[in-house]
Amino acid sequence: MDYSKKIQEIASKLFADNKINYFVGYKQNSFDDSQVPFLITDPAEIPKLVFTDRSVFNLANYLKPDHTKRKRVGLVVKGCDSRALNLMLTESQVKRENIYIIGICCEGVLNEKGEKAQNCVECVMPDPVVYDEMIGSPTGKREYTINADIRELATKALEERADYFESIFENCIRCNACRHSCPLCYCAKCCIDQETSTLYHGANTSSGAMHALMTWSLHLAGRCVDCRNCEKACPSHLPLHLLHKQNESVIYENFQQHLAGMEKDDRGAFYKYSLSDPDDFIL
Amino acid sequence: MARVGVFVCFCGANIAGVIDVPAVVQEAKKIKEVKISIEYKYLCSDPGQQIIREAIVQNRLTSVVVAACSPRMHEKTFRKALLDAGMNPYLLEIANIREHSSWVHQKDKKAATEKASDLIRMAVAKSIANEQLHEISVPVTKRALVIGGGIAGIQAALDIADARIPVTLVEKSPSIGGRMAQLDETFPTLDCSQCILTPKMVDVASHPYIELIPYSEVIELQGYVGNYKAKIKKKASYVDFSSCTGCGACTQKCPVKVPNEFNMNIDKRKAIYTPFPQAVPNKPVIDAEHCTMLLKGKCGICAKVCEKGSINFKMVDEVIEREIGAVVIATGYDLWDPKPYEEYGVGRYKDIITSLEFERMVSASGPTNGVPVRPSDGKVPKNVVFIKCIGSRDEAKGIEYCSKICCMYTAKHAILLHHKVPDSHAYIFYMDIRAAGKGYEEFVKRAQVETAATYLRGRVSKIYKKGDKLMVRGEDAQIGQVVEVEADLVVLATAVIAPKDNPALARLLGVSYDKYGYISEAHPKLRPVETAKAGIFLAGCTQAPKDIPDTVAQASACAAKVCGLFAGDTMKKDPMISTINNEFCSGCLNCIKVCPYQAIVTEEIPLGHGSKEIRTVAKINEGVCQGCGSCVAICRSMAISLAGFTDPQIINEIVAI
Repeated sequence: MDYSKKIQEIASKLFADNKINYFVGYKQNSFDDSQVPFLITDPAEIPKLVFTDRSVFNLANYLKPDHTKRKRVGLVVKGCDSRALNLMLTESQVKRENIYIIGICCEGVLNEKGEKAQNCVECVMPDPVVYDEMIGSPTGKREYTINADIRELATKALEERADYFESIFENCIRCNACRHSCPLCYCAKCCIDQETSTLYHGANTSSGAMHALMTWSLHLAGRCVDCRNCEKACPSHLPLHLLHKQNESVIYENFQQHLAGMEKDDRGAFYKYSLSDPDDFIL
Repeated sequence: MARVGVFVCFCGANIAGVIDVPAVVQEAKKIKEVKISIEYKYLCSDPGQQIIREAIVQNRLTSVVVAACSPRMHEKTFRKALLDAGMNPYLLEIANIREHSSWVHQKDKKAATEKASDLIRMAVAKSIANEQLHEISVPVTKRALVIGGGIAGIQAALDIADARIPVTLVEKSPSIGGRMAQLDETFPTLDCSQCILTPKMVDVASHPYIELIPYSEVIELQGYVGNYKAKIKKKASYVDFSSCTGCGACTQKCPVKVPNEFNMNIDKRKAIYTPFPQAVPNKPVIDAEHCTMLLKGKCGICAKVCEKGSINFKMVDEVIEREIGAVVIATGYDLWDPKPYEEYGVGRYKDIITSLEFERMVSASGPTNGVPVRPSDGKVPKNVVFIKCIGSRDEAKGIEYCSKICCMYTAKHAILLHHKVPDSHAYIFYMDIRAAGKGYEEFVKRAQVETAATYLRGRVSKIYKKGDKLMVRGEDAQIGQVVEVEADLVVLATAVIAPKDNPALARLLGVSYDKYGYISEAHPKLRPVETAKAGIFLAGCTQAPKDIPDTVAQASACAAKVCGLFAGDTMKKDPMISTINNEFCSGCLNCIKVCPYQAIVTEEIPLGHGSKEIRTVAKINEGVCQGCGSCVAICRSMAISLAGFTDPQIINEIVAI
């Protein structure tokens, strides 16, 4: 999977036609074969753009900052990224006419060890769900499987699971990189940071971390698209996907097989109501 | 420093019978902020309120906790007491120790007492964070919308209009009058239904304060009490009512004949028709489903004979808007289809008819000119069997409730039958006779004695054909024997059911309805004419089966409520509503999606101080917000808070447990 040339062509054309102010893509790291997000305003930098199975990050995240939010931006998205983008569009965070989306029919990206990443193995939607231009040939929606780690956790006793999560929360340093790396954490001021808030405390303790991370995962329940930007950003290497995948599997089971960001105008399982919803759990 | 007063009510034995009130009072005294904690037999009484008023002044209280019954009961009472003592009424908290403790934990007095103390502790903690709130006043549009032009809608519209408040009356069918127009005579006085109804119908049409919109439906209602906006769809009638004189030439010449629903399909009407001779407005409409001109483009005779040129085949549905302040729902009722009674041969035997069909037949203006006949051969029946509770009180085939009016109208039918066919005999199978009402029991007696109708207590098990007669086999429970009656005609008193469009209408208006489709009242006893949505009232059978006197009484009650609502130029509104801190709002607009009252709109604000760029955030419309809190729960950035239920208040409550 090397679409570097094609992306460079499209980007040149977009700049030439004056369709965009910014282009967000990937560039090769200078010290190893990994890549970093790359935001350009100057067409001269186009040759540096790359896209391979090392293009791991979710670039939709770069539509959050004010300087890109109200500008015309061209960006590259994979299947999962496009789902996040879909949600951002639905939740009025991005204006569709302001962005030019290059959707990649993704064949999966690699993790640090050079193996195919777990979220790519379990991927339900490798094709872009929203795009202006598509690269590659779509392979269609795949069957949903419950995350391997969640299946394994389910076999453990409750206390064991509690201890495990306790150890995760203990190692959290409350740097909030997870929040900043998530394209769907765009709030003007996070509830956890609000000075007037009586609900949360900012202490850097395991209970403070638990409070923050649990709130975070619930705010993403039914919205998380499993791009794992948060995990890549976490300096403590916490397995943050566990929180999201657990929610996702419960929601898939109980909310009519709902998957986040698959459709336009779908705000997520918790935000829609129809008369045909099952209500057998209501007393 | 907060100074809280706690007042615990005995509520007679309601609370004190289970909860150890003095112990609860002592327990409350231990709370640091509580400056006074006292008990009283009935706090809601005037001396009880006096105690609260005095304590507020003497102890310079900053908030008040009343431990008594549900806030639905007396919150307003105690708020008033606070106001009278010069305190902001919203500094009151109610600890519901009756419904939430003494009533539900009657068997465990110790635990109930402990729970009462917990509830008080929570209320005290919450009250400390209470803020002074002030009532909101919103302007009122003084126009009422009445949906349904039956006797309920007519009465409500007339009463409101007589108070010089403009009314828009929307009727689905081409004429007002409703079910009552179909009736012959009415129980218990046997006065002619048409004779008492039609003057009212004419009054509606000529009243300067009533705008009658027939042949139309309400399709949208937005806004809030005092300030609703309704969209009304006027169905295409293909007749220009302004020029039509109602001469009737078109209906005479129309060649298309269709079953006449006003006469329960016993005879035929034309494709261009007025439902009945006394219709108001007395202008015909074209039935688009049957008119050959509209279906195939052939005919057009009506247009040719119309001297005024009022026929317009190109007419289309029109949507009009009205600004209104209150709504009266008066959609009436339907009748249950007795098809499930297969053992009676419903559908197979022509001589089994429903009560309303019988009613049309005995009506002097009906399809048979007032003489009941057998549908099979047109002969006048001699033996007529009336069967009550068809569908009513029948969990297996119909509905559980009693339709209320069938006992009375069946007695009426027996009398009418006797009047029209003096040598006939009525047999009435019944489960119970329910004749509660002024002159009702006497009326049933009259049917039994004067007309010598045979009342047989028991259910009919089977009806079968023998020659041209129907054999009705049933049980006479009073003698404990199976009886068989040879009948010429069988009349089924079918159940009253809610109109099938009621649930859709209820959703459109935003009011609740019950499992049968009837619109729910706000309180079955104390608020029987209001719905839970402010400014929407209900009259007549749209709520439950009712007879004409009850319907008229309720319609007038609705009118009183509407007039009360419109008494001032502005309306006071509870200040316990949501507010949005737009600094924190991220503009995801999920709140708009979850708001059941359409109370949230978008607003564009500068991106930063003095910035020219804008961003879109959510904004609460104060008049519409009902304070349900859905938006508060859905807001991830915690930008929304609900006055009276702010986070500090709730957290305080939780911490206090």
